[in-house]
Amino acid sequence: MINQVRAEVLKIRSTRTTLGFVAATVVLVVALTLLTGLLSNSLHTVEDQRQMLGLGGIAGFFSALAGILVITGEYRFGTIRPTFLVSPSWPRILGAKVVASMIAGAVFAVIGAGLSIGLGYLCLKHRAFPIELHSGDWAYLVFGLVAATAIWGGIGVGLGALIRNQIAAVIVLLAWTFVLENLVFALLPDLGRYGPTQAGNAMTHSNADHLLSPATGTAVLILWMVVLTALGMAWTSHRDVP
Amino acid sequence: MTPVVLAESLTKRFGSVTAVQDLSFELDPGTVTGFLGPNGAGKTTTLRMLLGLAVPSSGRAMVFGTSYARLDDPLRRVGAVLEATDFHPGRSGRNHLRTLSRAAGIPDARVEEVLRLVELDVAADRRVKGYSLGMRQRLGLASALLGDPDLLILDEPANGLDPEGVRWLRDFLRAYAAGGRTVLVSSHVLAEVAQTVDHVLIVANGRLVIESPLAELTNRVGGSVRVRSPQAAKLQGALEHAGATVTAGEDGALVVNGFTTEQVGELAAADAIVLHELTRAGASLEQIFLELTSGAGS
Repeated sequence: MINQVRAEVLKIRSTRTTLGFVAATVVLVVALTLLTGLLSNSLHTVEDQRQMLGLGGIAGFFSALAGILVITGEYRFGTIRPTFLVSPSWPRILGAKVVASMIAGAVFAVIGAGLSIGLGYLCLKHRAFPIELHSGDWAYLVFGLVAATAIWGGIGVGLGALIRNQIAAVIVLLAWTFVLENLVFALLPDLGRYGPTQAGNAMTHSNADHLLSPATGTAVLILWMVVLTALGMAWTSHRDVP
Repeated sequence: MTPVVLAESLTKRFGSVTAVQDLSFELDPGTVTGFLGPNGAGKTTTLRMLLGLAVPSSGRAMVFGTSYARLDDPLRRVGAVLEATDFHPGRSGRNHLRTLSRAAGIPDARVEEVLRLVELDVAADRRVKGYSLGMRQRLGLASALLGDPDLLILDEPANGLDPEGVRWLRDFLRAYAAGGRTVLVSSHVLAEVAQTVDHVLIVANGRLVIESPLAELTNRVGGSVRVRSPQAAKLQGALEHAGATVTAGEDGALVVNGFTTEQVGELAAADAIVLHELTRAGASLEQIFLELTSGAGS
């Protein structure tokens, strides 16, 4: 299994797509953090500051995209055949892809969180806002950003295993995270808070209304990853390798 | 002895289409077998079932006495190339091989060895999208050789190779099998593998048409004997008396059908007829191939 994970990590590292995702994460996080940190006047409360410092969480979207590509790219380019011939076991293949995508997600998270926390902190200092976060808040913020972004990588693999078509899987991810889940959370918050995006937001110990506790949020996000991957595995293993 | 490959009543249906029907054969160690048939005959589907990529609708596909998925270390037992396009275009050839070698626990040094073996070491750091079809075929072969396997399964490996590449592949496969290893190579062009294989399996419309040593096949289907003698008239009479069909060939030779070279030689010796030439003039392999596959098609 360790060999398989090493192979999957190399697959992620050895194409330029991953570099593109890292670059997109950097550009977006820097731009959004600087815009908010330098222009917003709503940075007085702990929640306001946490929102700005946590803008690195956008890396979770790219982590999920990378996870989707880890599996759908194999179908798109036919590399799933050599992958299967080396290791003819779907649990091992998908398991390794989940772990490798979580590792990649953690790297995205460190970059995203490092930038948003670092730049956000400098902005607050520059504008002489008193820092409202205490040590526990910082710990939750860093843990929530890194862990949630890593788990999003695994969720991407599960989604990609279920929807082998790369474009369709990306569209579903976009529609779910940016439209559907927000809609459900706005209309039915008690149900919507169990969605993956809101569960991930809860992991930073956000005080926003209706969110779960960090521990429950973490458990729910992991559950999403496990269920999607298990469904993807069941779907894949009952079919011929194309 | 356990056969290296065993296909037992293999059948594969896709909806109402039967791609492979009741196909059975086995391969012994150290043989190079040509798996032949026109496009769409079911060759690739059969190979995919042997490799566990497709589940048979019925029947069994075994390698080394078990299913592919149950092999302990598959890359070290079986090397396979099914498509010359199974690469990420943005990944270098070297990294493609490394992703496979790492998954199989094979050291990177072996990657360099196989790159040199298929003469791709100079281009190894270029992205695959810049490779020619021939280079992709060789990269595929390199990936199959990573584990130094006992069995090679290659689907149309000569596609896209130039004549020099085809000769290289032929020599390579012969040398590979000479070490006691087994090769199963598919092709839709018999001439491509005629000088490489010693056994043939011919399929058409998903069914096995013939399984035979290549030489036997040539003899069996439409083989004739060319014989030259200063006593041609006497020889022709003796042969026709014995039941052979004799026609006049080039340079005064006789073309004998229905008799083997041994039978013609013995008959001539019995009648004290001098022979200047006695050779088997088999039908062209391509002719045999077309006869067999078109017959099955009708």
